[in-house]
Amino acid sequence: MNQEYTCKVLKRVMLTSDTAYLTIGCADIAGKAVPGQFVNVSCFRFLKRPFGIASVDKVNGTFCIGIKIVGEGTKELASIEEGSTINVLGPLGNGFDLGLSDSFILVSGGTGVFPVNFAYEVLRQAGKDVTMVQGFRDKSQICLTCDDYIVTTDSGDYGIKGTCIAGLDTLSPDKNTVVCCVGPVPMMKAVGNWAKDKGLRCYVSMEQRMACGIGICLVCVCKVRAEEEGIPFKHVRCCKDGPVFPFEEVIL
Amino acid sequence: MSRLSVKVGNVSLKSPLILASGTCNFGHELSGYYDLSILGGLSSKGLTIKPRAGNEGVRVAETAAGMLNSVGLQNPGVDYFIEHDLDYMRSLNTGVIVNVAGHSYDDYMAMIDKLDPHKDKIDALEINLSCPNVKAGCMSIGTDPAQIREIVSAMRQRTGLPLWIKLTPNVTDIKAMALAAQSAGADAVVLINTLLGMVIDIRTGRPVLHNNTGGYSGPAIKPVAVRMVAECSQVLDIPVIGCGGVMNYKDVIEFMIAGASAVEIGTASLIHPACPVDITNDLEQYCEDNQIELSELTGTLKLW
Repeated sequence: MNQEYTCKVLKRVMLTSDTAYLTIGCADIAGKAVPGQFVNVSCFRFLKRPFGIASVDKVNGTFCIGIKIVGEGTKELASIEEGSTINVLGPLGNGFDLGLSDSFILVSGGTGVFPVNFAYEVLRQAGKDVTMVQGFRDKSQICLTCDDYIVTTDSGDYGIKGTCIAGLDTLSPDKNTVVCCVGPVPMMKAVGNWAKDKGLRCYVSMEQRMACGIGICLVCVCKVRAEEEGIPFKHVRCCKDGPVFPFEEVIL
Repeated sequence: MSRLSVKVGNVSLKSPLILASGTCNFGHELSGYYDLSILGGLSSKGLTIKPRAGNEGVRVAETAAGMLNSVGLQNPGVDYFIEHDLDYMRSLNTGVIVNVAGHSYDDYMAMIDKLDPHKDKIDALEINLSCPNVKAGCMSIGTDPAQIREIVSAMRQRTGLPLWIKLTPNVTDIKAMALAAQSAGADAVVLINTLLGMVIDIRTGRPVLHNNTGGYSGPAIKPVAVRMVAECSQVLDIPVIGCGGVMNYKDVIEFMIAGASAVEIGTASLIHPACPVDITNDLEQYCEDNQIELSELTGTLKLW
């Protein structure tokens, strides 16, 4: 049975001026989570807030989430005290299928840096070939990075100037490479089209304002191409049917 | 018999707790969180004759004590439901309530004709005359006693299945709507569906919901629902099912005192999926402590 966990916040650090990183204790979630999945976390507001799982430590039974402050709920969660308890549903959603290939390119933008970080961890542990491309607005937003990664900034004050496409263009991937991308819609569209031009499979992670996170309220839908003739699109649930979809199936 | 068992007209339920339409889909997801057989019933997602994609864009807006939704009756259509979900709902060993929505008189009649042949698998039809998120039908019917009477009478002619009429609070006099349903042969009324509301993003000057308005639910609306249950149960001969902002067992008891024979849990499931487990345990304890059958509470309200 799935359940709602009462978890302790073990550690909180600020990665940037407006982004916190929480380490949360929950052996069940740490044990079950796959990259691309998320948790729905109680804050001091009415609804829970969804966050992509950024890292997992199965041995210690902990996982991490990154919280970018965008509103009151995230503001309060980003300043939560260590030792506090929070209610957490998860792991939720489908996640990336990292068994599809031995070679991956991971691309992140904005808060996409978090779920992609978890994918990188898992692929590295599995000994797979993985290239990380991170796109940020400017140097002040950079987090969860390392020297091995290709980093781009819109402002050009760090790494390659431009969008993550400028970073991807430095690569010559082989045909079996799978691209996984989490970021704002225009970015996922650009990355998806870049992959398509190269003949590579690409998966993207969709986001929409969410309530339940478990597929019962139907508020967080995105559009996918319908199989039936004459139907322009189908609404599917980001939280339950996704958040990960093949790029060619979603309508961005 | 458990102390929690109740009757809604001729329908016996093992508990007063029913999962409200639109907050439990068809039960597949929540059955992964708890054994749904503890419930009195489960009301399906609102169904229409044809599949509906629902509204586009942002469909949820949060408030201090609730949320607005503008899903717009996204559903797979009644034929798909009968083929794929009805047997599953029946297998959950709880009351099967099928929520029926439509855009016109003809839609509702066609829905009854589709569902009546499956009456062995259905405990009651919940007739949605109250969805605020679609352009025609539903709420526009449920705000007019003459249309309520016309539609419910015609449905009554077509089926022997219990007809529970889910009404909208977006009216001046809810009693007039409930009495119209009763006079047309309804078996029960469900009070209330969501309140029509709007939330504006002050940065953009635009409504958060891309449908502009949405249905307001959650604990904020509970006093409105309790008031309407109390008002209607004073004047009706048929049972009332309470719905609106139930978060815990005390809320259930409050609705029953007001006059409800059963109580629906809606938005609470979106926040704590397994909350009916705690509510059930707490209600059992309450009955034990007070040495009562829960159904004894119905309509015990003492007005000043």
